[in-house]
Amino acid sequence: MKSKLVANAGSFRDPANQIYEIMPKVNGGKARILRGLSGDALAIYQKLSDEIFFREALSAGHIVRTSLLPADDEDAMSIMTDGWVGVLEHEPVPFVTYPYEWTFSMLKDAALLQLHLIETSLENGWTLKDATAYNIQWIGPRPVFIDVGSFAPWKEGDPWVGYRQFCSMFLTPLMLRAHLGIDHLPLLRSYIDGIPPTEAIKYFSGTKRLKRGVLSHIIFPAKVENSIAKRERDDAPARQRTPRLQSKAMVVGLVQSLTRLVQKLSSEIEHTDWSQYDKTHSYQEADFDVKKAFVLKHTSTIQREYIWDIGCNTGTFSRISGENCSHVISVDGDHNTVEQLYLVEKKNPDSNILPLVMNLANISPGQGWAGFERQAFDQRRRPDLVLCLALIHHVRMSANIPNLLFLKWLSSLQAEVILEFVNREDEMVVKLLTNKKEQYIDYNLEQFTAEAERFFTIIDREPLKGGKREIFYLKPR
Amino acid sequence: MKMSTMNKRQSWKLKFILILQACLISNLFFPSIAFAYVDPGSGSVIVTTILGLIAAVGYTFRKYFYKLKRMIRGKKAKEEQQDSE
Repeated sequence: MKSKLVANAGSFRDPANQIYEIMPKVNGGKARILRGLSGDALAIYQKLSDEIFFREALSAGHIVRTSLLPADDEDAMSIMTDGWVGVLEHEPVPFVTYPYEWTFSMLKDAALLQLHLIETSLENGWTLKDATAYNIQWIGPRPVFIDVGSFAPWKEGDPWVGYRQFCSMFLTPLMLRAHLGIDHLPLLRSYIDGIPPTEAIKYFSGTKRLKRGVLSHIIFPAKVENSIAKRERDDAPARQRTPRLQSKAMVVGLVQSLTRLVQKLSSEIEHTDWSQYDKTHSYQEADFDVKKAFVLKHTSTIQREYIWDIGCNTGTFSRISGENCSHVISVDGDHNTVEQLYLVEKKNPDSNILPLVMNLANISPGQGWAGFERQAFDQRRRPDLVLCLALIHHVRMSANIPNLLFLKWLSSLQAEVILEFVNREDEMVVKLLTNKKEQYIDYNLEQFTAEAERFFTIIDREPLKGGKREIFYLKPR
Repeated sequence: MKMSTMNKRQSWKLKFILILQACLISNLFFPSIAFAYVDPGSGSVIVTTILGLIAAVGYTFRKYFYKLKRMIRGKKAKEEQQDSE
């Protein structure tokens, strides 16, 4: 039986290489991530792999584990039939994510990794062809650079070609949040190639332009771009470009000044409904222990590969379920809560929790070229189990999504589910319904149970908070 | 209280002077370089050239400053070692 070879839908911009995913021959087998290289790209990789800085970055975990496959590898041979001369194998990252799902500190750490790699590359006669944030992925809460094909030899005089992309994808969104408190995530979701300076300038008026880094990296580039666009518009002829030579001191100096700037950017965690959840939840300690024990009971029976904790808050249950699971994807719509989870988890070198910010009533869609370049959240990697604790009342009453639709979506994941239903008598539901005209009469335990049984088999259930809530362990039908 | 207001005023004055200097520097470079490029994307070459020039001053200063610092420290350490012998 042959393995299934799929060209990655997001890997087509660089003509020198292409990513392929090799789907396992049997269920439960491991997928392989391979990169076809052109003749030139292969020669560059062979030179790069001898460089000490590159090997150090690999062993430090800054670059995804990579090896050159022998020409007799069965999967490599099938890729080479597409015209590639060499094939690299990369260690697959647990779960592909995009910058519009990262918190401020995640984007900041990703930016610092990108800058660290470009600086060490330049110091050793190499550069990176681009500076897109999509080249950074995560292993737990640790960023890792995945685009080995981006390394290219650098000679004195060459500018840093990734500067504009770095500013659009990393620096500008970071400055928008740090300086103005603007949520950078919806902007990054829309501008999938980064926020251009000509748009970013509109957010900075008056004295806001004096904030750190704004004049140099937003106002000045925007003025230059606007002035060029103005001069070249309509039928004005294109003018000849004369490349300006840039010394090593200029290029490395710029990278270092950006590193200092990014390091100084900060965003305070504000107190929200969720950011203090571990202290302010509505449970008595004994009740909370019952809920923890239920989750532990059903997550510790077998070792699972992927658990999603949707509506994770500060990650109490992500940690419990992560003890018997390879990877936990913890998602919440509240930026500050996820930020707090990330800041705690990044201190733990063994953490297997990847925190993500996402409104669960509006998950990341498939977008980019032909709608496939960036995958929808629920189309990436199927979870084995989904934790969905005290979320459903928000889905129903805040987002106005009927329980049936939510359960249908959950069942489409073909995963086991641990779901906590918050009943009408619970004080949190009472709070939600206060001042609401629509009272969601269909929202009750009996109806929910009946609807859940259409898609799932109830394996176990337990009342919580004296019957105000009920926790279920469900298996898909 | 008075001191902090004074410091704030001085720091704003310093900021203003620095910004004015940056504008003057960019005006010196901008016209001659800008005419050589066509599309908005190539604007980043102009930007990196000018920002790179400014950054290079700091980079070179820091490089020699640390070299000098190491030299002085090295000399001091050597002298201390000789003294202790």
